[in-house]
Amino acid sequence: MKPIIEMRNITKYFPGAIALNNIQFDVRPGEVHVLLGENGAGKSTLMKVLSGAYTPDEGVIAIDGHGEYPKLSPHLSAECGISIIYQELSVVNWLNIRENIFMGHLQTKKAGPLTLVDTARMNAETADLLQRVNLGHRQPTTEVGALSISEKQMVEIAKAIAFNARVIVMDEPTSSLTEDEVQRLFTIIRQLKAQGKGIVFISHKLSEIAEIGDRITILKDGGYVGTYDVQDLTTDDMVRLMVGREIKGTYQHPAAEHYQFGDVLFECNHLTRRDGKAKDISFALRRGEILGFSGLVGAGRSEAMCAIYGAAPKAEGELLMEGKPLHIKSPYDALQQGIGLVTENRRETGFFPNFSNRRNIAIAYQLKKSSFGGLGGITNDAKEKELAERQRDELQIKCTSIEQLTAQLSGGNQQKVILGKWMAAGVKLLIFDEPTKGIDVGTKSEIYKLMRSLADNGIGVIVVSSEMPELLGLCDRIAVMAGGRITAMYDIGEATEEKLAKAATGETA
Amino acid sequence: MKREERKLTTKQTKKFSFGEYWDRYSTITILALMVAVFGVLRPTSFLTGGNLVKVMEQSSITILLGLGEFFAILLGGIDLSVSSIMALSGALTAQLMVNMGLHPVVAVLLGIVVFGTLIGMVNGLLVTATGLPPFIITLGTQAILRSLVYIVTDARAVSGLPAAFSKTVGGKLGGIVPVPIVVALITAIILTFFTAKSQSGRNLYALGGNSQSAWYAGIAVKKHTILAFAISGLCASLAGMVNIARLAAAEPNAGTGYETYAIEAVIIGGASFFGGIGKIPKVVIGGLIIGVINNGLNMVGVSSYYQQLAMGCLLILAVTLDRFFGASRKNG
Repeated sequence: MKPIIEMRNITKYFPGAIALNNIQFDVRPGEVHVLLGENGAGKSTLMKVLSGAYTPDEGVIAIDGHGEYPKLSPHLSAECGISIIYQELSVVNWLNIRENIFMGHLQTKKAGPLTLVDTARMNAETADLLQRVNLGHRQPTTEVGALSISEKQMVEIAKAIAFNARVIVMDEPTSSLTEDEVQRLFTIIRQLKAQGKGIVFISHKLSEIAEIGDRITILKDGGYVGTYDVQDLTTDDMVRLMVGREIKGTYQHPAAEHYQFGDVLFECNHLTRRDGKAKDISFALRRGEILGFSGLVGAGRSEAMCAIYGAAPKAEGELLMEGKPLHIKSPYDALQQGIGLVTENRRETGFFPNFSNRRNIAIAYQLKKSSFGGLGGITNDAKEKELAERQRDELQIKCTSIEQLTAQLSGGNQQKVILGKWMAAGVKLLIFDEPTKGIDVGTKSEIYKLMRSLADNGIGVIVVSSEMPELLGLCDRIAVMAGGRITAMYDIGEATEEKLAKAATGETA
Repeated sequence: MKREERKLTTKQTKKFSFGEYWDRYSTITILALMVAVFGVLRPTSFLTGGNLVKVMEQSSITILLGLGEFFAILLGGIDLSVSSIMALSGALTAQLMVNMGLHPVVAVLLGIVVFGTLIGMVNGLLVTATGLPPFIITLGTQAILRSLVYIVTDARAVSGLPAAFSKTVGGKLGGIVPVPIVVALITAIILTFFTAKSQSGRNLYALGGNSQSAWYAGIAVKKHTILAFAISGLCASLAGMVNIARLAAAEPNAGTGYETYAIEAVIIGGASFFGGIGKIPKVVIGGLIIGVINNGLNMVGVSSYYQQLAMGCLLILAVTLDRFFGASRKNG
């Protein structure tokens, strides 16, 4: 079958680097073509060539087997039916579903000399589109801000098919979705396939790729590794081709069931948030142990962690570190008493975009040393340099120098900078909220290793994650939350995906 | 082969990057160019020691206001009330000296601490308590404080300041260096140290870069916001003291519209309007640039009608160059 779009020998230079080197990529009607590669492998750049945002330096793009273009303009790209759904969704929250879908394509009607907006027709068409993406229960006039992330994604898909998209690119569409929502998305993707649309699916989750993908193209450091049929590759093959090395699957203690953990390091008793988002949370964390928190998005896991860290509205309950009570009313108190939080959104709550790696790494250490609640004290450039260089070497942060802006690093390396910040500050307990979200497989495995070595060195590690394989491969014990409460607690030996999923719905096994 | 050639050219352009140069030396380059142009046009009148000292003295108020404004802009905010704080602190200090016979030292201290710093803190408190943009809060306090100036002075100038005060603050140190320059420079040096070396200074940059991250990192967001506006008020009141000393009187209209100069000095000085980026010494240069333009255009004989036009063009040009060439603005 003729490809809808075929990119041949695409090369793109950036100052001082080759971003894409002789890449081959095509999309056929009715297939899901997976694009796989570590962060920085060139996936986004290739998609920007496809959307017309970038002009390739070499290579051609053929549409429907004819018409070879040296580049696409955004206009031409749209005309060819290419539609891209970015990871950061581009819906406008304060407009309703109809307005989002018809933005820039308002339907009009003639009324005498006037041209009026035809709201009735657009509402009808929107209702029809919503049916097609299984959002029939939503009204065209519902404000998009009131929808869940998965529903917003469906609105974007509806928008794409409304204007006859033939190729729909989905950039990490499942990174913020629950298992159920992922399945719903896959149902829609299969329907789109059946209608002859070509889907480009970008994801780091290998199990999903095996489930939904037909063909797969793998990129590595801007280079073209190859295009394969998904069924011919195992997930191990994918990792090997993408990273160029084998990656170990689990990071637990050898025979975790029989491992003797140390004494209790941290204890949380009957923690309840006044806003009710976390209720009666009690658990103990032993030295050398990694404790996981599983559950659906909105189950109150992040909310409970924020309460421990002092970043939430008022909460009651007792926190003990090494048997002594903690008094935490703000993140500053948490820092002083040895607790760190690696937040879910690096860009929004993790680091400072205007700071170098040196400053981002040193900030927590310095705040801890400062006087008058962080207002007093003098900074020490030499000490900062020492701290930052040590963390850079220990965590193998890939950067041109410690003076480079953290904002310029890849997601995985930004996460390492944040980790380095807490290690430099000398925490006793480090809480990770979705630590590997949007991070490539290679860096993921490095971060797991680092977490395990923290635990081995006597630092308490708590992990909140929505990826069950991650928790099962990393943790020694897993707590499951639902509706703001802990509904189950499993040792790793007895935990299975089925049990976790069941407890996450509120039923205890 | 073709690919290798390309690699080479990209390497060659790396040697000298206008972006990197501009990012570092933009402000000083603009100042040097200005001085050079006016120096060539009027070598005998503009480029004399006496005139250059005069330019610096005339710039001292803009610089002081700009130094304070810098902190509001560093947080991604703005302080429109600096001109009114300058007028109010000047008027009240003058009244304390003239009508109540307070010793100038006591009056000036009260002026700086109470009428400058405290009023600035109120700005900060209002911003943190209401959560409203600083633009709105300080637009309000600008009007309120200006009105207070008219009320306390009955809209008349307060004259007859003690000679001890106006001769000292408005005079020259050692008969050579005007005291306003000394005040502005000492303030700038202290604030340079504060921003570059103190933990609070670092926290303010962090807060301006990303207030959410700052909160999660354990930085006291509200206290630092109040601190920034307090410094702004403090600097504005210093400008107020310098202003009444130079005129030997407190005018109720003093400083009207000067907040614009303060903002211009900060922005021409390369600070990001979105917060988190900027340096104190560059604000001083920014203030001097404004002084040089006004003085130089006078010397060349350009009507004062054109001075604002020149300022406006320069502002837009400087920020445009930053936007396109500033190395630190490019992310990823």
